[in-house]
Amino acid sequence: MPNALTPPSAPRPEPGSQSETVPEAPASGPGATLHGRMLQVSRLATIGEMAAGVAHELNQPLTAIANYAQACDRLLARPAANLEDIHTALREIAAQAVRAGDILRRLRSLARSQPMRRERADINAVIEEISDLLTADARAHRGVLTFDLTPALPPISIDSVQLQHVIVNLVRNGLEAQSDAVPGTRELRLTTGLSADGEVEITISDNGPGLSPQALERLFDPFFSTKPEGTGLGLAISNTVVRAHDGSLGHRPNQPCGACFFIRLPPERGV
Amino acid sequence: MHEPTPTVFVVDDDNAVRNSLRLLLKSVGLASQPLGSAAEFLETYRPSQPGCLVLDVRMPGMSGLELQRELNLRGATIPVIFITGHGDIPMAVEAMQQGAFDFLAKPFRDQELIDRVQRALAKDGTTRAALTERERIRERLESLTPREREVLSLMTQGKPNKIMAHELGVSQRTVEIHRARVMEKSGASSLAQLVRMVMDQEPENAAG
Repeated sequence: MPNALTPPSAPRPEPGSQSETVPEAPASGPGATLHGRMLQVSRLATIGEMAAGVAHELNQPLTAIANYAQACDRLLARPAANLEDIHTALREIAAQAVRAGDILRRLRSLARSQPMRRERADINAVIEEISDLLTADARAHRGVLTFDLTPALPPISIDSVQLQHVIVNLVRNGLEAQSDAVPGTRELRLTTGLSADGEVEITISDNGPGLSPQALERLFDPFFSTKPEGTGLGLAISNTVVRAHDGSLGHRPNQPCGACFFIRLPPERGV
Repeated sequence: MHEPTPTVFVVDDDNAVRNSLRLLLKSVGLASQPLGSAAEFLETYRPSQPGCLVLDVRMPGMSGLELQRELNLRGATIPVIFITGHGDIPMAVEAMQQGAFDFLAKPFRDQELIDRVQRALAKDGTTRAALTERERIRERLESLTPREREVLSLMTQGKPNKIMAHELGVSQRTVEIHRARVMEKSGASSLAQLVRMVMDQEPENAAG
């Protein structure tokens, strides 16, 4: 797999260069508690926003289950019922019920509130756990999400659920940034790789209009939003979470258009 | 003319949804062809194939509404039944405005779908019969000679034989012979029916 982070045509700016926006560290003290509470609020808000996408996704297995069950009923009412068809339908009903359960389980694991618990993790595995959910969310927004994960990255010490929440949030931002684009051209890219400093880097880039200089200035401020219905907490919380992991969250313009958000996390020490 | 068996085309990107629909339709003896995308349908579908289309609204790539627009552009008359997750009311309105046959929210009661599919197939049959009849008449009218066509045009304008003879510079007797040939070749039993046939050939009066 080619390293998507250094395409020859569009060299990545060096860390700290002018085009990158990385917020200042938040003040410690009482603010930290507020951030903790905000994290909770934001998580619920994101889940609310995702509910529509999830509802659509759940509808698919439910529709299939209803169709199969009703087909069985009709097939059995015939004088010479085809048992092979009925067996297939019953197996499919079970498989679709499991599929629906999986969708709910993943949503619930994101919704669960618990203190930060850092564990050694492989970033690609963490992303793969939520890749179906992200893909479903992209589909609900009529967009296409592509993954470009660099294999064999050093392990990192993270709370997977919290980091997954940040990634879901950034992907959703990217999708919403392209809401004015023609359906079919809404493209989002999620990559993993190694930064110039040897940190594990996750990037989420979109083909949207990009961010105005005004928006860039206030990007990580709580309650600042470019979306009419936005809470303005998503990026602020995401930033808090990434900082708590000794990492950094930043923005740079995407080439040729759009925005690129990156998360950099230090490799686990002592490896 | 022998018509092929009607096929219910099921276009949905979700494998489980389209396969379950195939089995449901099979359970009431309806033949169907499940397809995973709008593009696949456009590749497969031949206008000579009678049937109807059960179409998912939201799909990656070309959406159901885009496929419907494409079919309209191509002049396809296949009736379209849209199926969708709930909360797509504006899409439903747009689909109906674009001439969709019906709209169903997922998940649906089997009878609701089966009733609609059967009504759509019946409508497709009527449309096809009307088109076939129109085609038959077109062939008959095309068999007229240029002179007979001139007479036909004057007949449908309601001109009496005497005027026609004058305008065409021939005898009334000749006009009468042409008239008889026009009636014979078109198969019309009256002047009124002949006028109707000619009007039905106009593109704006086309069936479907």
